[in-house]
Amino acid sequence: MLSDNILLTSLWLLPFAGSLAVLAVPQNLERLIKWLALGVCTGTFALTLITLLLYILPGESGVSPSSNPLSDRVLNNIIRKAGDGSDFMAIELEGSGHDGRNDLVVRLPWIPSFNIQYYLGVDGISLSLLVLAGFVAVLSCLASFPIEKSVKGYYSLFLLLTASMIGVFLSLDLFLFYVFFEVMLLPMYFLIGIWGGENREYAAIKFLLYTLFGSVFILVAILILYFWPGDNPATVVEVTSISMNLEQVGFRAHTFDIVKLTQAATKTEFYGRSIQTVIFALFLVGFCVKLPSFPFHTWLPDAHVQAPTPISMILAGILLKIGGYGMIRMAWPLAPGGAQELSYFVALLAVFSIIYGALAAMAQTDFKKLVAYSSVSHMGYVTLGMAAMSMTGDARIYSYGVNGAMFMMIAHGITSTGMFFLVGVIYERAHTRDLNKFGGLFATMPVYAGISFLIFFGSMGLPGLCGFVAEVFVVLAAFKFDMTIGILAASAVILTAAYVLWTLQRVFLGKPAGASDAHSHGAAHGHDDHAHGDDAHTGSYPDLTKREIIIAAPLVFFTVALGVLPSPFLLDWMSPSVDETVRAILRSKTVITLSSQPTDLKKDLIIVPRAIETAVR
Amino acid sequence: MEHWQAWLYVAAVLIPLASFTIQILGMRILGNKNAYVATAAIATCFALSCFGLISYITTGPGVSTFLSLHGHHGGHEGGDSSAHDSGHGPAAHSPTAGEHSPAAGEDSPAEHAPKAEPHKGEGGGDSEPAEAGHNANHGPLVWQGQFNWSALGGSIMGNPLILTLGVYIDLLSALMFTMVSFIAMLVHIYAMGYMHGDPRYPRFFAYLSLFCFSMFGLLASPTIFMVFVFWELVGVCSYFLIGYWFEDLNNARAALKAFVTNRVGDVGMLIGLGLIWSYFGTFQIADINKALSDPGIRDSDSRITRATAGDNVTVMVQSSPNQDGTPGKVVSRTIPYLMLTIAGLGIFAGCAGKSAQVPLHVWLPDAMAGPTPVSALIHAATMVAAGVYLVGRFYALFTAETLLYIAYTGGVTMIIAATIALVQNDYKKVLAYSTISQLGMMMLGLGSLGWAAGLFHLITHAFFKALLFLSAGSIYHSVHTYDMPKLGGLLKKMPITGYCMLLATMAISGVPLLSGFYSKDAILAATLKFAYDTGHLPLFACAAIGSAMTAFYMFRMWFLVFDGTSRSAHLEQVSHSSHHDDHGHHHHGDPVAHAHESEPAMAWPLIALAIPTVIVGYPITILPFGEPILEQMLSYSAPVTTPSLAEYHIPAMLVSFVVASLGIGGAALFYSRWRIFSAEPFAKNFAVLYKLFQNKWYFDHIYDTIFVKPVMSLATNVAKFDKLVVDGIVNGAAKTTMIVSRFSNYFDRNAIDGMVTGVSETVLKLGSRSQLLQTGRLRQYLAVLAFGVIVLFCWLYVWIQG
Repeated sequence: MLSDNILLTSLWLLPFAGSLAVLAVPQNLERLIKWLALGVCTGTFALTLITLLLYILPGESGVSPSSNPLSDRVLNNIIRKAGDGSDFMAIELEGSGHDGRNDLVVRLPWIPSFNIQYYLGVDGISLSLLVLAGFVAVLSCLASFPIEKSVKGYYSLFLLLTASMIGVFLSLDLFLFYVFFEVMLLPMYFLIGIWGGENREYAAIKFLLYTLFGSVFILVAILILYFWPGDNPATVVEVTSISMNLEQVGFRAHTFDIVKLTQAATKTEFYGRSIQTVIFALFLVGFCVKLPSFPFHTWLPDAHVQAPTPISMILAGILLKIGGYGMIRMAWPLAPGGAQELSYFVALLAVFSIIYGALAAMAQTDFKKLVAYSSVSHMGYVTLGMAAMSMTGDARIYSYGVNGAMFMMIAHGITSTGMFFLVGVIYERAHTRDLNKFGGLFATMPVYAGISFLIFFGSMGLPGLCGFVAEVFVVLAAFKFDMTIGILAASAVILTAAYVLWTLQRVFLGKPAGASDAHSHGAAHGHDDHAHGDDAHTGSYPDLTKREIIIAAPLVFFTVALGVLPSPFLLDWMSPSVDETVRAILRSKTVITLSSQPTDLKKDLIIVPRAIETAVR
Repeated sequence: MEHWQAWLYVAAVLIPLASFTIQILGMRILGNKNAYVATAAIATCFALSCFGLISYITTGPGVSTFLSLHGHHGGHEGGDSSAHDSGHGPAAHSPTAGEHSPAAGEDSPAEHAPKAEPHKGEGGGDSEPAEAGHNANHGPLVWQGQFNWSALGGSIMGNPLILTLGVYIDLLSALMFTMVSFIAMLVHIYAMGYMHGDPRYPRFFAYLSLFCFSMFGLLASPTIFMVFVFWELVGVCSYFLIGYWFEDLNNARAALKAFVTNRVGDVGMLIGLGLIWSYFGTFQIADINKALSDPGIRDSDSRITRATAGDNVTVMVQSSPNQDGTPGKVVSRTIPYLMLTIAGLGIFAGCAGKSAQVPLHVWLPDAMAGPTPVSALIHAATMVAAGVYLVGRFYALFTAETLLYIAYTGGVTMIIAATIALVQNDYKKVLAYSTISQLGMMMLGLGSLGWAAGLFHLITHAFFKALLFLSAGSIYHSVHTYDMPKLGGLLKKMPITGYCMLLATMAISGVPLLSGFYSKDAILAATLKFAYDTGHLPLFACAAIGSAMTAFYMFRMWFLVFDGTSRSAHLEQVSHSSHHDDHGHHHHGDPVAHAHESEPAMAWPLIALAIPTVIVGYPITILPFGEPILEQMLSYSAPVTTPSLAEYHIPAMLVSFVVASLGIGGAALFYSRWRIFSAEPFAKNFAVLYKLFQNKWYFDHIYDTIFVKPVMSLATNVAKFDKLVVDGIVNGAAKTTMIVSRFSNYFDRNAIDGMVTGVSETVLKLGSRSQLLQTGRLRQYLAVLAFGVIVLFCWLYVWIQG
């Protein structure tokens, strides 16, 4: 069959099959289950990397998929009715430099009567998150090894979770997206509810119901998009053709096709500004729950504190990113006019979320809760980067904002995975997460401390580490958007520095906790004489094991690599897709025609080279 | 690369990074050999820097350029000057291109040849051929090269918006490289002695290497963005080294305070960055400098004022480079005067944080918690001077108001820090406050249009302050106390340390024929001229009074430590005789008794630093006539024309001499062996002032009351609010839902329950012997969930039908 169809499908099907395969292994072969799950995760990660390679490298035709926008690539995959109009068939186009076999899009009819498709595709935006998902899945699978309670069910649900998350990022059909989105909740619910901490039931049900609450909003937005009769159907232009000729066809909605809907929303006035505002607000609420953003964030600290370490890693590393992904893939492109209408409000909400999260983090004494609140703060940058829609002057600065938002998702995916892992490491040894009971670990666990400092600094936005790139891009865009918001966003770095450094101080600096009472002298280095004592009261624990170093090392590597060389590692292949989205958003008809400063935009538009102009038409 | 010398500096930046990486990864294998790796790396950097400096002078301006009696004052930054005013004479405000010396005939022919291709450069394979317009301007030689760190927005407007990293080397950076690498090298050698036996000795050298990398990166930065990057990196090195002995939580707290205080300044810097980015669309310092050095927007003193520039400043700015490395288009940009001022103040806020200017100075005295070699290198000579360096580097950005603000900040800082230094008993703290005070003086010089003067003092100060700190370390190493009242009479026991420190003390006090005299003189001249021209007499007064106080407290310190006899021994004897207590050990508790000169690894760096402490400020005549060579070299890379100070040098010199004599004489009268006054009555008579100075003007108390505590309580309240209100609403809603769900229970059990629990039980049974199922609650939740999904699908169906 067609290579990219198999590849994209197996991306989610492999972990799904793995989930079933794990169930088939006898209960007592725990080691086999673990290694099987790890193998499946590694395989999935390898598949995402293969996809990435195929995306970057030029194919047989000499053109790499990354050089073609997704909206062009999907044109090679169309679904037509057969001659008699009774049956649907998928057609992949070939020739003319466009290779339908290697365009990383899959499109098959699924429920034709509702125009629902099995429609998968990747571009820089989804691919970066897919690779992240594969990466985090491997690490958290490895971090799951100490779990001993009903291993089989755990890994089965773990792989199911992985499969559904990958499906979410792959889907280009809103219905398919929604199915994966909902399926994802169940394994997560059980993973928290069964393998969690002492208050797990409460946290699990809260997570589940809260996310369901949010998904209702998303569903309503999707349905509105589907059923909207059209504000101005007469002027609709749609690009659809079998031979690459541009053809005008009336657009009637009744589709879940994200690419097509994006075109309708950005290039036509089918969805008027008022309905876009409704759609946008619905998407916003839905994805703010997932992100999470103030005021929909309270499920997160509970879920994180109760979830077992690897699940926290997945939750922070990937699950939260679905909120941001939904924003950049749906909320903004499918309702650009609404996004612009509410941009100031959203930006304010984002800044508030940044500061609020940082303040709340500062007051925590539970290490894990602190990291959870820091996620709330950092995810605010994602919203802010999206919301900083400057309509005047240099439009490229908005591109920095959205790229910064995407970068924040990847960077936070790495650092927060690392932070939750590190919290888990110390929890396993000390059996407490109370920050006031730690101290002096720098002396007794130097490797652990070094890695922790690096990853926490990465999260704090220290230059040279990944968080900085994201923060600086977003803050620069915010300044262009509105000075007050820019200043507020910039000021948050003080709070971030304060809570991160204070946390590190309480955990790693000073004398080892408890040691000063028991041993008045030489406490810092005196762990030999009470090696078999009560660990929790001496503050000296064994340093990282080999397995733990294997988990931490790649996180450290990417924290540094993305910070030092963001372009080759991420931006070079991700940003064209982001720019494509930014361009669509900024040049959408609903934004332009109703923008308060049409003249400035016109000036910008003139600068756009003709080539791009024609490509758009 | 167009200029191979740029690679020299790329190497100089990266070698310490490589050294750091080797040390961190090889810590277990290398162990204490880390010190050799680090020292070899920094020595290589020093060699490269020297080579680069010589190469710059010989291929660029030529040696003879700087051997004149009267230097040239700024004005090389050609900018668009050739387009504007090639006809102008060497008037003060005419930055005529190639006009290196007002004294005609100084220009040697050799001088012009290399300048035919200035501003050329490329790097990392991204060549940046000189733009035609650039070639026309005979600006000073610059070696530069950049690579695209991020390039975004390409498909939106044709060409992307680019952030670059790279190197930009002019004479100022070349001189700074040489100074920093020299001091850093000596500090490395010194630390091998000082830190010997420390349990984390290898880690210390790894930190030092990381710091050197960060500092060199900062110096080489072509863009304000890259400055910010390395700004933070030196900050984090400083954080680690202040908290180096982290077992004592006070040290850790000092480190945290330093970092967070600096971050406050960095927010200002981010604001500046944001404004520059929004209005100029580029971060290239040289390009913005060039645009803003347009004489059209500057007054006769070469300041940007509202009167000359208007409410909206319109300048021609070169856009950030294109993706292929070619220079960006020169476009007209307009920035409101107010925004330009705010941007300048923002950048200065960052500088004030790093250079410990009031009100952000509070972190530096606490930073003395770090090991003394670190205090010498980071918190005296290099990093804390980076703020001054940046003000000098980005000088054209500052409007007249900003410059005035900088000058007053510097002046106030100088006085406040000096008053606190007067009453310190800890000699390392004296040095810390003296550093703040001297940094204030540099800022004062820069703000008073003494561009070269401020940076000149930066370099001379770096040498003698490093020497002072290293001497202090040598003392501590020997006597294990920082408390001056316990010391005295150390000169005999530690002659090398004592005499080296005396030289440095004389230099910082402004004794003629030592480097500090010349640079202080330059700053006094600048403030004098500024006061004369604009009537800002307080600035001159700050400089003069501050200098007098500096001479006083520095000699107070020297006398207390080295002169006379040990006060501990004296006290000891008193207590002995009063208690009639026979120990048999006469000098018990007297730190001076066992004092000895430090080992060679520590003594030699002192001697090596003593040489530049003396000579680095010399003019060609050595006597205080003519412009110092170093100052001339600095002027060569001035971004804007600065007014000539020639006729103010003599009066300034007189003032300088008088205040230094007063200060030193005063100290001698109170604290030396020839003392005739006692300090205690004075402290009592001026008890209010004494208390104010003792309590450091209450800055820490005030900040604690108005910032730290409110933020902490705000944080606690936010957390409470989050738990009680935000989460309370959620839980309330959940409870309501539960009540509603009881109503639907009936429906659940009959219709859906069987199906759903069937599925879930299968999953769970396969997974575990879960007790959850037996509670029945899970079943209920699942039912609610399934019910919700069914309702949604029903709704969907209805929609579709309709």
